[in-house]
Amino acid sequence: MKLFSIHRDNNHPYPPRVTAFTKPFWDALGKGQFLTTRCKNCQAQTFPPKVTCPHCWSSDLDWVEPGISGKLYSWTRVHAAPAVFVDIAPYALGIVDLDCGIRLACPIVTDQTLQCDIPVELISIEYRDGYQLAARPVAS
Amino acid sequence: MANRVALIGASAIPVGKHQTQEEDSIQVVEHEIMAKVVRDAMAEAGVTKEEIQSAIFTTPRPYTKQYYFHTFLTSHLKLRCTGNVMEVMGNGMTGSLAFDQAANEILLGRAKVSLALGINMESATAAYRHMMTSMRTTGDVDFHSPAGFTPISWYAMDATRYMHEHGATREDLAAVAVKNRYHASLNPLAQYRKHIDIESVIAQRPIVEPLGLYDVPPRGDGAVCLVLASEEVARSLGKPYVLLRGRGFYHEGLHQIDDAPNDMISFQAAAKASAAAYESAKLTPDDMDIAEFYAPCTIVEILVSEALGLVKRGHGAKAARAGETTLGNRIPISTSGGLTSRGHPALVTSLYNYVEILEQLRGTAGDRQVKNARLGITTGELGNYNAALIHIFEGMQ
Repeated sequence: MKLFSIHRDNNHPYPPRVTAFTKPFWDALGKGQFLTTRCKNCQAQTFPPKVTCPHCWSSDLDWVEPGISGKLYSWTRVHAAPAVFVDIAPYALGIVDLDCGIRLACPIVTDQTLQCDIPVELISIEYRDGYQLAARPVAS
Repeated sequence: MANRVALIGASAIPVGKHQTQEEDSIQVVEHEIMAKVVRDAMAEAGVTKEEIQSAIFTTPRPYTKQYYFHTFLTSHLKLRCTGNVMEVMGNGMTGSLAFDQAANEILLGRAKVSLALGINMESATAAYRHMMTSMRTTGDVDFHSPAGFTPISWYAMDATRYMHEHGATREDLAAVAVKNRYHASLNPLAQYRKHIDIESVIAQRPIVEPLGLYDVPPRGDGAVCLVLASEEVARSLGKPYVLLRGRGFYHEGLHQIDDAPNDMISFQAAAKASAAAYESAKLTPDDMDIAEFYAPCTIVEILVSEALGLVKRGHGAKAARAGETTLGNRIPISTSGGLTSRGHPALVTSLYNYVEILEQLRGTAGDRQVKNARLGITTGELGNYNAALIHIFEGMQ
């Protein structure tokens, strides 16, 4: 379940903050792995990773690799972008429902026309100064 | 009997581009606008300055130079209050929260007359700069903003999904923009009043696909003051007023997106909050004569009309296209012109919606008056409609 990786020659337009808690996620993404947290008490998985389980509020958590395949629930292409993203607009964004039961939102990297419910997989975008989780369509 | 709250007067400036550029030699400043709006609202209400016991302000944009605006204006107007004087902030819900809190001051017996008021100035800041702030209000700043999500990108994804599930077309969505522009053409407070048609909506440049320029709200400035009073005070004035009949709130514990699949376009917060509001008013969706929504995009108006039970699920776009929500027809929605044409000075937008409700339900809406309108409903929201605050009103002649 190694993530396909795309390399970009620029710095991240709007880099995320890395915390002591989320560092395992970012480090894994750099190695081509998608990790998130699962509650040891109620087994609920959540993304983004969270210091307390949103369901039962337990802090007894595991880092797990929940899988990278899913379906595109919805998508858009942003033409009117914030200042730091103007140079890369238009760009596609989407909501992905992973087969493991997690829903997340991320960039969709593709040249093709997108449609709801098409199969997608998570990928990573490697900037000079960090990483970005994204997704791309795959053959069904 | 418990206190009941009435809306007895209002004043507002036309929504538009009022904010000056930093380099302009003559500046437009917020307190000079606001002081006159308060005076005009009070004159319309017919109560005196000394009767105001509470003033709930919407928080100004960070571009407003005078910080701590509410207490500054209270000094400018020498308002001496025993109820709360405060600013509220809740993004798109800000205006609704100000109204709700001003009503609470009366319900709690702290005030017989209270104000809900505010000014939103932002048009001199270009959209791409403004979005550097607004993108931090939606989603997670470390997991969503770095991807370039903007507030309306979430609504765009609602539109994509809705079109996929219900077979709605861009033309169906465009019908909402066309209808709102027609309503705005009859509203002196509206920012854009020239007629448009479906073809011209489709022809606009894309903003967040599938939504184009006329599907999304324009940028604008606005200022509003509402005067609320106990029903006893309202009745003593001997003229029509608008009574707050019902109220409902729901936050679904989400910020833009759930971490597990759900039906994102069912707008659960609007559905649950409106159910609570209907229940508290002992009324049903069928009783409503008008509806004034917080609906920043064409798709949002469609989804809210369904969530509030005014239109059947999956039929919102078709109903708009068929004219059911146009003035003169079954359930007129956004008779002010809505956020797409009346305008969207976001933090005071909902205050403009109460102005429209007041005009319609006391019968002073002029050319856009809905005949015999007696009951109306308003909405305010957060996130991707993850929270909703709903009010129901009745006109008392």
